[in-house]
Amino acid sequence: MSQQQVPRVAQQYDAIVIGSGMTGGYAAKELTERGLRTLVLEAGRPATPAAELTDHRAPFDAPFRGLGDRRYVESRQQVQRRSVTFDEWSHTYWTDDVDNPYSTPEARPFDWFRARQVGGKSIIWGRQVYRMSDLDFEANLREGIAVDWPIRYRDIAPWYDRVERFIGVSGKAEGLAHLPDSVFMPAMPFNCVEQHVSDRIAGRYGRERVMTIGRVAVITAPKPGRAPCHYCGPCERGCVTRSYFSSINATLPAAEATGRMTLRPHSVVRALQYDARRRRVSGVHVIDAQTGAEHLFTARIVFLCASAIESARILLNSATSGFETGLANSSDQVGRNIMDHIKNAGASGLIEGFDDRRVIGNRPNGIYVPRFRNVSSKHPDFVRGYGFQGGAGRGGWQNATRAPGIGAELKATLTRLGPWSMTFNGYGEMLPRESNRATLHPTLKDKWGIPSLHIDAEWSDNERAIHKDMSIAAAELLDAAGARNIQRSTRPPSTPGNANHEMGTVRMGRDPKTSVLNGWNQAWDVPNLFVTDGGFMTSSSCQNPSLTYMAMTARACDHAVREMTKRAL
Amino acid sequence: MERRDLLRWMVATGGIAVFNRLAERDLLQLGAAAHHTAATAALSILTPEQARSVAAAAERILPRTNTPGATDAGVTAFIDTMLSGWYSAAERATFLAGLATLDDRARVLGARNFADSTEAMQDAILIALDAEVVAQRAAQGAAANDHWFAMLKFLTVWGYCTSEPGMRQTLGTWPLPMRYDGNAPA
Repeated sequence: MSQQQVPRVAQQYDAIVIGSGMTGGYAAKELTERGLRTLVLEAGRPATPAAELTDHRAPFDAPFRGLGDRRYVESRQQVQRRSVTFDEWSHTYWTDDVDNPYSTPEARPFDWFRARQVGGKSIIWGRQVYRMSDLDFEANLREGIAVDWPIRYRDIAPWYDRVERFIGVSGKAEGLAHLPDSVFMPAMPFNCVEQHVSDRIAGRYGRERVMTIGRVAVITAPKPGRAPCHYCGPCERGCVTRSYFSSINATLPAAEATGRMTLRPHSVVRALQYDARRRRVSGVHVIDAQTGAEHLFTARIVFLCASAIESARILLNSATSGFETGLANSSDQVGRNIMDHIKNAGASGLIEGFDDRRVIGNRPNGIYVPRFRNVSSKHPDFVRGYGFQGGAGRGGWQNATRAPGIGAELKATLTRLGPWSMTFNGYGEMLPRESNRATLHPTLKDKWGIPSLHIDAEWSDNERAIHKDMSIAAAELLDAAGARNIQRSTRPPSTPGNANHEMGTVRMGRDPKTSVLNGWNQAWDVPNLFVTDGGFMTSSSCQNPSLTYMAMTARACDHAVREMTKRAL
Repeated sequence: MERRDLLRWMVATGGIAVFNRLAERDLLQLGAAAHHTAATAALSILTPEQARSVAAAAERILPRTNTPGATDAGVTAFIDTMLSGWYSAAERATFLAGLATLDDRARVLGARNFADSTEAMQDAILIALDAEVVAQRAAQGAAANDHWFAMLKFLTVWGYCTSEPGMRQTLGTWPLPMRYDGNAPA
C-alpha cells in the first residue's frame, strides 16, 4: 500500500439487522447460521428472562394485584394500555408513549402498539400462527384491488415448514385448502364444552364451518433448550421454561450459539446512510439511547425488521438526494396501505348440561374457526372474510366483584363457578388502501430528536360490512351449538391498530412503480436493503400474520446470502 | 404481627426483661398493642381510626367462617395501597368522606362509632348501604361503581380474592395447577 492511498475501511459486519423481535430475531438466526457476521441493533434495553420475567409471580406479590399501576400507565402509556395483553406484569414490555409520541387526526385514532427491548413484540404477542394460502395470495389480482402479490403459496410453503419445525407449533390438521395445515406438534385439547360445540357445528355445517383448536406457537413436546407448556397461562409476561416462541426464547439464542452475532441494545436507528454512486445502503446511523452519542455502522446488507410502521418511519427519515420523499420510495408507497384486522364483533352464549365439569389449569390458546365467507360461495355485502377465535369457560369470582349482598352469602357467591359460556370473537381482513397512510410529522419528535409520524387510517365500508357479519355468523354458530341466551356483540369496530397486526407500509409487488419491495423482500431501489417485518404485506388476509413474516424473513435471508455468494450483492 | 417481629419489638423496647412478670391480661394487651402498631404503622393514607372502620366493615363484608376473612387476608393494607397509589385525589376524598359517615350511622343506632358497634349494628348499616348501591345501579348502571361503598366493597372483594389466604384456602386458585384438564369434575 503506498502512502498516498487512503486505507480502505474494512466492513465492520457482513449484515446489519435492525430490530430483535419476531423477524429481526429470525433474520439474525438465518444470517449467522449461513456464516454472516451480523450486527443486531435493538432500540430498547436487554430483557433477561431469569432475572425479571414474571410468569409465575402471584397476584398477591404485585402491589395493585393485577389492577395495574394506574397512575404510571395513565401518564406514560395511554396508547399501549389498550392492548389485550397489557397488564400490571407485562406493561414494562411496551414502550413509553411520552418518549415515543405520534399523532393522528382527532376523529380517526390509531393504536400503534410498540415494544422496545431485546425480543420486541415477540415477548408479548398472542402466539396464534396460521398459514396463508392462494385464496389470500391471489385475492388482490382476482378482485382488482391494490397490486398483485409477487409470490404464491408454493413459493412460501417450504419456508413455512422450516419455520414451524424450528419455532414449534401445536395444532390439529384439518386438511383445508384455504388454511393449509402446519407442521404440527400434538394439539392442545378442547375442554368438554368446546368439544360439544365443535361437534354440534360439524353436525349442522359439515366441513363448511369448522371449529378447531387454535394453532399456537407454544410447544407440547420438548425441543432443545425448551420444555413443553405447563399451562400456567400468562405467556406475555415471559416464560421461564421457554415453552412459547419468542426471539429471546429461541432465535436469538440460536444466533448467539453461532458466535457470529453482535447484539447491541439501546441502539435507536435514526436513518440509513445511502451511497448514490453504488445505489446501496452504506451504513446505519444509530443514536445510543443511554448516552445520546451518534454511531455509524456499516455492512454489505441491511435487514429492516423494526416493525411495519417503524420501518416505514426509518425509510421516510432517510430521505436523501435522489430520494427526496424517503429512501427506496420512488413508488411513493412507503408509509401507505396501512392494514390491521377489524375486531370487536362476535357473540357469546350459555351452554347447559356440563355443570358437573370444570377446567383445571390455564391453556394459553383458544379455538379457531377458519374463514368460511367467500371461500366456496360469494357474500353479497363484502369481499374477503374473517376467522373466529374464542373458547368456552366458567366464570369465577371475577364475574362477581359487583355482586349484591354481604357476609357469608357473598363469600359463597365468590367461590361458586358460573355457568359455561362459549364465545366467538371475529378477526376480519382489511383491504389495502393508499389513503391509509403514515407520514413524517412536521414538528413532533421523539425523545432522541427523531421526527415522529402522523398516522391517518380508517376502516372502509368493506371492513364495516365484515364487522357486522361477524356478529351474525357467530350467533349462528352458537345456535347450532344449542346455546341459550345468545348475545351478539354490540361493540363498535375496534380502533385500527388495536389487533396489533399493523402491516403493509412497505409493500411488495411485481412493479417498481407501484411497490417498494420485490418478491424477495428486497427494495427495488436499493438492492442491498431488505424489509421483512409486516411492512411487506400486499394484503392482510384474516389470519394472524407473524408466521408469514417469519417464513418470508427466512426466505429473504436465504436469497440475500445466495446473491452475496454470487457477488450480486 | 409475626412472632419474630413481636420478639424483635420487645427486645428493641426492653420489653423482654419484664415479660415474665406480666399477668395474662397484660400480656393480651401487649399483644393487641403490638398488632395494632403493625396493622397501622405501614399505612400511608388511613389514620388508625379510619383503618379500624375499614377493617371492621371489610370483615363483615367477607367474614371469617370456616375459611379466612377479610382481616386474615390483609384487605385493609391493600385498600390503603390503592388509596395512596391508584385512585385520584378526588376519588380518595369521596371514599374517605363516605367512610366517615359509617360512624354517623353507628351513632344514630346508639353506638360510640362504627368499629365499636355490635356486629348486628354493623351488618344493618352495611346492608342499607349495599341496598343504596343496588338501587343506584338499577337507575344509573356502572355509574354506581363511583359510590364510596361500591368502592369499599369492590376493593374488599378484589383484595380478598387476590390475597394469599383467599387464593390458597378459600378459592383454591393458588398454587397454579401446572397442568391442563378441560373435563375435570366440578
